[in-house]
Amino acid sequence: MSSLLDVRDLVVVYNTPRGTVLALDGVSVGLNAGETLGIVGESGSGKSTLGLAIGRLMPQNAYRLSGDLVVNGHSVFKGDDENLRILRRDALGFIFQNPMAALDPTMRVGRQLTRAVGRRAAPEKVFSLLSSVGLTETERVFHSFPHELSGGMAQRVAIAIAIARRPQLIVADEPTASLDAWLRDQVLELLLSMCRATGAALVLLSHDLHMVSRHCRHVAVMYGGRIVEYGERETVFHRQAHPYTRALLRAAPGAEGPHGRLNPIRGVPPILMERSTCCAFASRCDWAVNQCLDERPEARWLDERSVICHRAETLLAGASGT
Amino acid sequence: MRVVRFVLFRLSVALLTLFGVSIIVFAAIRFVPGGFEDVVLGPFGTPETREAVRAKYGLDRPHLEQYVLWLGATTKGDFGTSLTTGQPVAAEIIRRAPATIQLALMSTLLAIVVGVPLGVASGVTSTNRVARAAGRLVGALGASVPTFVLGTVFVFVFSVWSLGVTVGGYVPFFEDPLANIRAMTLPVVTLSVFGMALIQRTTRDSVLNVTSETHITAAVARGERPPDIIRGHVLRNASIPIVTVTTVFLAYLLGGAVIVEQMYSVPGIAVYVVQSVENRDYLVVQAGVLLAATFFVSINILADAIYALIDPRIGGQRRDS
Repeated sequence: MSSLLDVRDLVVVYNTPRGTVLALDGVSVGLNAGETLGIVGESGSGKSTLGLAIGRLMPQNAYRLSGDLVVNGHSVFKGDDENLRILRRDALGFIFQNPMAALDPTMRVGRQLTRAVGRRAAPEKVFSLLSSVGLTETERVFHSFPHELSGGMAQRVAIAIAIARRPQLIVADEPTASLDAWLRDQVLELLLSMCRATGAALVLLSHDLHMVSRHCRHVAVMYGGRIVEYGERETVFHRQAHPYTRALLRAAPGAEGPHGRLNPIRGVPPILMERSTCCAFASRCDWAVNQCLDERPEARWLDERSVICHRAETLLAGASGT
Repeated sequence: MRVVRFVLFRLSVALLTLFGVSIIVFAAIRFVPGGFEDVVLGPFGTPETREAVRAKYGLDRPHLEQYVLWLGATTKGDFGTSLTTGQPVAAEIIRRAPATIQLALMSTLLAIVVGVPLGVASGVTSTNRVARAAGRLVGALGASVPTFVLGTVFVFVFSVWSLGVTVGGYVPFFEDPLANIRAMTLPVVTLSVFGMALIQRTTRDSVLNVTSETHITAAVARGERPPDIIRGHVLRNASIPIVTVTTVFLAYLLGGAVIVEQMYSVPGIAVYVVQSVENRDYLVVQAGVLLAATFFVSINILADAIYALIDPRIGGQRRDS
């Protein structure tokens, strides 16, 4: 099976008034057609930048320092704008965190959908798309402005827009974070079933490792602009080799300590001004040793997953021991 | 009916505003030292002749009586008679209206036609350097050069080299359209340069704001063509500040027209009202100022209506098709 998405040692920086900030510090990851990949990390981990980079949609002040990102054999960083536009239109679909903000507030939903399907799209096609994402009052939704919809309805519309041209890859950045809790599973289920129905691969970005490993076959954990652990969900979820993955799971609601309190990860995520010369997580890590502060860990293949940690063996041994 | 209530509310506020303006202008023109009798008789008038002039035109009556009489007549559409010419004020204003209306319309149109594209060009970062530089130049120069300086330069340059336009020599449009356009070109350009700058800057800022919104990123992500994104998503979302600044420009026009009409000998209302202040032609000044206020109040109501048309979230009421 040919690789649909191939990210090779991608380094992306943001130019800010206070200097350049490293958002992606050498990310390598791949995805085959029809597969699902969940990318997990705190805000500032670089996951949103990675998601945007798939369509080269980063803000103006971001640029690629090195590496490459290839979709369907086409690099999004090399090649002309028109090819990139066609790639975005036909091969990629994006779903954003806040569906209301992702829709043009001054244009009726029907017209926005029609534009997404194609200029001369028949209204029937648009209506069937609306009902395929579980919207019932398609006539009313068609003639509504985005602010007349509920958040859940708007995200369904956004999903309809994303799948309108049957893309091979859908990138969804926290697609349910802005929705009411009782809607999240519904909308996520819808997104996954639409991906299955159209055969699209899915990149799901989230801070929720539990949710991601329920729905995605592969899981990548991001920290400090790097993918610190990557593998199949059973491997990563049940036998964590990276202290950060472990801390994420322990910090999640539902994994409270003996007194019913959450176990937050101490400290804050780093803002990198340049490629880190040590382990970016070392200052927050319970397992850190001198080597972690002196030597930049590189990706290694260990026990069926890729991991970036000097102490991975110790962690795995400890995990299997208890 | 929220719409009807809204309209009624705005209309009553507008009437109240105009009522206030009528009091202020009536009082202000009478507070100015020297009255109509001084203008007519000059410095050598005797108290008796001055009193005779005042009595002849009814200026000796109590102010309140004069005001009530005037307001009553005005509400019936009678603006009275000019003290200096003896002609009806309405006729005098209507005679001068076409020149001013033409000046205002053409200046606004030119300011929008030049300002909006330049603003979009300098707001959309993907456009070429020349367009962005042109936008910046118009924005900086136009906003900082006063109208009378620009007008003086134009008068000088185009008096030496005609280049197809005439300095002064106004002809009504319907008498000789070509000569009219040749005479109106300089006044219109002079007046609109400030508007171009104002609109260019506002458009640029507004476009910059809109293009950083998520729904524009979403449109790019859908692979829409850049011109389609600008026409379909950016312009409409960016246009509310442009409408606002255009109304600001229209308010500026009221003052700017005085300078430009004077400078290029355009026989318009603005310069006529100013002359009437000097002549203490009370009724002309009162009618002129009230007219300007009506114009501005209407423009503001119109702008509010346009806001609601541009952005469906404004106004709040459902508009099912």
